Amino acid sequence: MNLVSPFSLSLWAITLLALFGLPIGHAMIAGSILYLLIVGQDMGLAAEQLLNGLYNSWILLAVPLFLLSAELMNVGSMSDRLLRFCDAMVGRFRGGLGHINIVQSVIFAGMSGSAIADLAGTGRVMINMMTKDGKYPVSYAAATTAASAVIGPIIPPSIPMVLFALVSDASIGYLFLGGIVPGLLMALAQMVINSIMAHRKNFPVEKPIPLREWPKITIEAFPALMMPVILLGGIYSGVMTPTEAAAVAAAYAFLISAFLYRSVTLRQTYDAFLNSARSTASIGMLIAGALVFNYVVTIEQIPQAVKVLLDGFELTPTVFWIMVNIILLVLGCLLEGTTILLVIVPVFIPTALAIGIDMVHFGVVVVFNIMIGLVTPPYGLLLFIVSNLAETQLRLVIRDTMPFVLAMIVALAIITFIPDTVLWLPKLLGYRG
Amino acid sequence: MRATLVTAGAWLRRRADDVAAILFIVMFLAFILQIITRYVINFPLGWTFELSMLCWVWGVLWGAAFVVREKDEIRFDVVYSLLGERTRRGLTVVTGLALIALYGISLPAVTDYVLFMRVEHSAYMNIRLDIAFFVYVIFAVAVLVRYAWLTWHALRGEAPETLLDATRHEPSP
Repeated sequence: MNLVSPFSLSLWAITLLALFGLPIGHAMIAGSILYLLIVGQDMGLAAEQLLNGLYNSWILLAVPLFLLSAELMNVGSMSDRLLRFCDAMVGRFRGGLGHINIVQSVIFAGMSGSAIADLAGTGRVMINMMTKDGKYPVSYAAATTAASAVIGPIIPPSIPMVLFALVSDASIGYLFLGGIVPGLLMALAQMVINSIMAHRKNFPVEKPIPLREWPKITIEAFPALMMPVILLGGIYSGVMTPTEAAAVAAAYAFLISAFLYRSVTLRQTYDAFLNSARSTASIGMLIAGALVFNYVVTIEQIPQAVKVLLDGFELTPTVFWIMVNIILLVLGCLLEGTTILLVIVPVFIPTALAIGIDMVHFGVVVVFNIMIGLVTPPYGLLLFIVSNLAETQLRLVIRDTMPFVLAMIVALAIITFIPDTVLWLPKLLGYRG
Repeated sequence: MRATLVTAGAWLRRRADDVAAILFIVMFLAFILQIITRYVINFPLGWTFELSMLCWVWGVLWGAAFVVREKDEIRFDVVYSLLGERTRRGLTVVTGLALIALYGISLPAVTDYVLFMRVEHSAYMNIRLDIAFFVYVIFAVAVLVRYAWLTWHALRGEAPETLLDATRHEPSP
């Protein structure tokens, strides 16, 4: 590639501007304008691509709606009820609070599509619960909380999978289905690590909740537990599109918090909407920047050029998978996940298709991989947030998160090389691949 | 005088927040209405969908212009957060000027594009698209003003407090 071609200059501009602290969305828009300027195209194209891209991609509406349902769930007392339910299930084992933390994330994952929303919503409660009376070290509590939040966008609903569907044209419904088994596998891997750590460090066992209290606890948590059922049932019965299901889920969260649990004030509702609007705008800017830059990438035919380059190596699927996974894991240490998904991943899609990789399998593995990047240093968004929440040193949180990261990489290898771990469920429900 | 300005600024900021929240609420309610009319009474209203999409476009650009705080911005701060305050201020000036130059130079062209869209109308509500898309011009001008302000402060040797918030989440070991 020519180092002073218009495309290279634009790429340099984006990289340097972002590296020097400009928000990534603005950096991508500015770099694309530079490209249009150099090649002498109409700079109005920047606005055209951005506006039409946002206005015509109706699946993107799922992003704000999933953010809203997570916000609304965090406002009500729904999370407290879920916590008691998890306690009843897994609290009795050694390292019980760690297990509760993980199982709670799995259930939460079935309602929210963003790891950050999961962490922001219940992170503080989970950390307080684990560190009360000095039961667990703060850094371990923080590590478990951050690692288990990663499950959120793998088990449907999932904002990253919506974005993958946007760049690949794969079916969102089948991507969501494909994420269920890998998400559970990730939870299992984390629970194994928690058990090992609990035995090694002799973490306490909780007082078991007597069986006779189970029905009451389950009934109290029932409306919240119904949320994933409504969401996924709606999508897979073919009744609703994922975007519609997201809206219904948000409405449902609001209704049960407001009327059944009676725990939401008008002020809290307003704040939930404002917070969702704010998160929507920050993610939306990144999407907007990627839409404009993808126009440049498309007219420069970059994915095709990468395919030609890779064709030269005559890659087998196995080598391709290893290569993509390593590249994405390394990038995950440095970049924010949405950027990787919208800018880097599309480059590999034509090659993946050419060597016969299934797009649903590819999407789930890629999202799984990129989500691990949320807890890998130096740039791991969840690590920053959690060390802030727990008021502990980042260094210690990173140290305690590492065993979980290793377990997740093992799980990544499993879902990469045994495609049926991803595709079994979608095929069972009619996916033809 | 300064106090009055600050109060006025805070008031405006809250109204900008209100607009963003209202856009979000309208988007949500219109979408719910769309679902109800489609599945419950079997008479889908097309305009509800269009209204949701317009509120989404406006929500993103309005929000990015007026509601997203410096600390909410998604940035790549691995290198940036390691630098000293002086260097960071220098970089704020460099990136700020680059952004102002590029957004500034494209402003006439993007305004032309938006105004040209007056020839098209939205499918259901028949809204002229130059009006629907005008939010991009508002966004571009707001970004220019915002970065002029940030650059000016950095030049005068004051690191804008909001910018520092962005990196404060990483406590030094």
